[in-house]
Amino acid sequence: MSSSSIALRELQRDLENKANDLSKLQKDIAKNHQVRKKYTIQLGENELVLKELDLLKEDANVYKLIGPVLVKQDLAEANANVRKRIEYISAELKRLDGSLQDLEEKQHSKREAILKVQQRIQSHQAGKAKA
Amino acid sequence: MGKPEVKGTVTPLSSMFPPEEVQKAAKLVEEKLSEKRNEMSQLKEFIADNTSLINLVQKLPDELHHDIMVPFGKAAFFPGRLIHTNEFLVLLGESYYADRTAKQTVDILKRRGKSLMSKVDALKAEMQDLKAEASFFDSTASEVAEDLVEIREYEEDNSNQSESQSGPTELESPTLAETDHKMDSKMGASKDDEYARLMSRLEELEKEELAAENGEIDEDEDEDEDEDANATETDGDENELTEAAFHRKKDEGYSSLDHGQRFSESQPTRQLQQSKGKEAMREEISNKYNHQDLTNQFSCTGLTAEPLTKGEMSCGRIIHQDKMLNPSVNASVPSENVSLNQNIHDSSRNEKPVQTSKSKFDSSKAFTGSIVEHTENLEKKTPGQNTTPSESSGSKPSKPVSRFKMQRK
Repeated sequence: MSSSSIALRELQRDLENKANDLSKLQKDIAKNHQVRKKYTIQLGENELVLKELDLLKEDANVYKLIGPVLVKQDLAEANANVRKRIEYISAELKRLDGSLQDLEEKQHSKREAILKVQQRIQSHQAGKAKA
Repeated sequence: MGKPEVKGTVTPLSSMFPPEEVQKAAKLVEEKLSEKRNEMSQLKEFIADNTSLINLVQKLPDELHHDIMVPFGKAAFFPGRLIHTNEFLVLLGESYYADRTAKQTVDILKRRGKSLMSKVDALKAEMQDLKAEASFFDSTASEVAEDLVEIREYEEDNSNQSESQSGPTELESPTLAETDHKMDSKMGASKDDEYARLMSRLEELEKEELAAENGEIDEDEDEDEDEDANATETDGDENELTEAAFHRKKDEGYSSLDHGQRFSESQPTRQLQQSKGKEAMREEISNKYNHQDLTNQFSCTGLTAEPLTKGEMSCGRIIHQDKMLNPSVNASVPSENVSLNQNIHDSSRNEKPVQTSKSKFDSSKAFTGSIVEHTENLEKKTPGQNTTPSESSGSKPSKPVSRFKMQRK
């Protein structure tokens, strides 16, 4: 009987650990979502900038705000920079998507493991009640 | 006339949709709705600011310079002048600025306003959906509160089809009488379910009768159809690949290939209409293989990138032939023997050019391993076409196709 109660305690500890892991995973997923949101907004803004830059004439003055300094930039240079930034952001988004999928899979498997442990606990308790 | 047994369940709505959960769901929807409302108000503010800014920018260049009170620090102003009234440094986004005139600035601002409006429209659509959800929850909550009950009646299937056919009509009258509550929509759904079930059963029985008439053919053909249906999708892909390769090869003057290609694409979908189509196909295929021999010789001498595509083409053709052979193998019933013999002749005729072309394929080193396997299968088929039981040969066709895919990948 004591052995079964010890086993029960072990199972419950196992359950706690798994629950902690699951909550960690969920936090990671939430962070992932946030960062993704930020990146999507930035991507949208950059695309807007690109559109406006395309409408500018060749000799128009373009400035970039770097800290407290407004620096004059070449239109071609600004175009190139914005395009590179757009590429970088889209690559980051793809990477985040991949990691998000991984995290979700892990979360799924953790949930299943937790269910199994819970079932075992239930069967243990049912066995104890019978005995 | 025995009545079919009628089972029924009476479930109070409150058990199906427990009231607390319905209220929770309604609250969640309400929260989302309020969030959307906040966003909407924010966007409207932006739009208002934008329009006032447009007005200001349009007014400024009316004067050469404006006398204004300039803000200085947190709590001071001093009198000053606003000059260069037509030059604006506009923020394009992501810390990029541009020098623009008043008109150009107004254009930029108008474009921003348009994007804001589109966002507002999207938000409105979302809010409408949420409102619909909320109203649904409210109605179910009220129904639960009124203690409405859902009534469902089931019917056991008896051996007599006719009885069960009349079943739904018999059920309809008592159930209509029973429902005092306004559960008509739900009962209608269960009636439709029963009807659908009955119709599907009828179709199954019809199919079984047809199968009993035709004997083995139908079953085999059904098997084949299933396999072919599964493989036709992938076959379609291969056909697309081969068609692309064919289009490239058009310059070399093999336009007949294209016609055969399209004809062969339509083939897999009509497996049952076999005899005439098959013969024509066989001839086309033999022509194609002759052509392909020449093209492969070209590939040997010439570009290295080509053999891959041509190998794919050959794969596509071989798989086609495979399919054409299968039904002929499986249809061993007397009613189809005449056309069968013709097909067997054609297939034996065609296999020879296939095999010779394959030896040439080997020389081009495109698909050595896979082609060897394929010839084995074909050789096994030729002796066993008349006598092999349908099942064993039925299992074969799936293998070469899948092995092909594995080889190719």
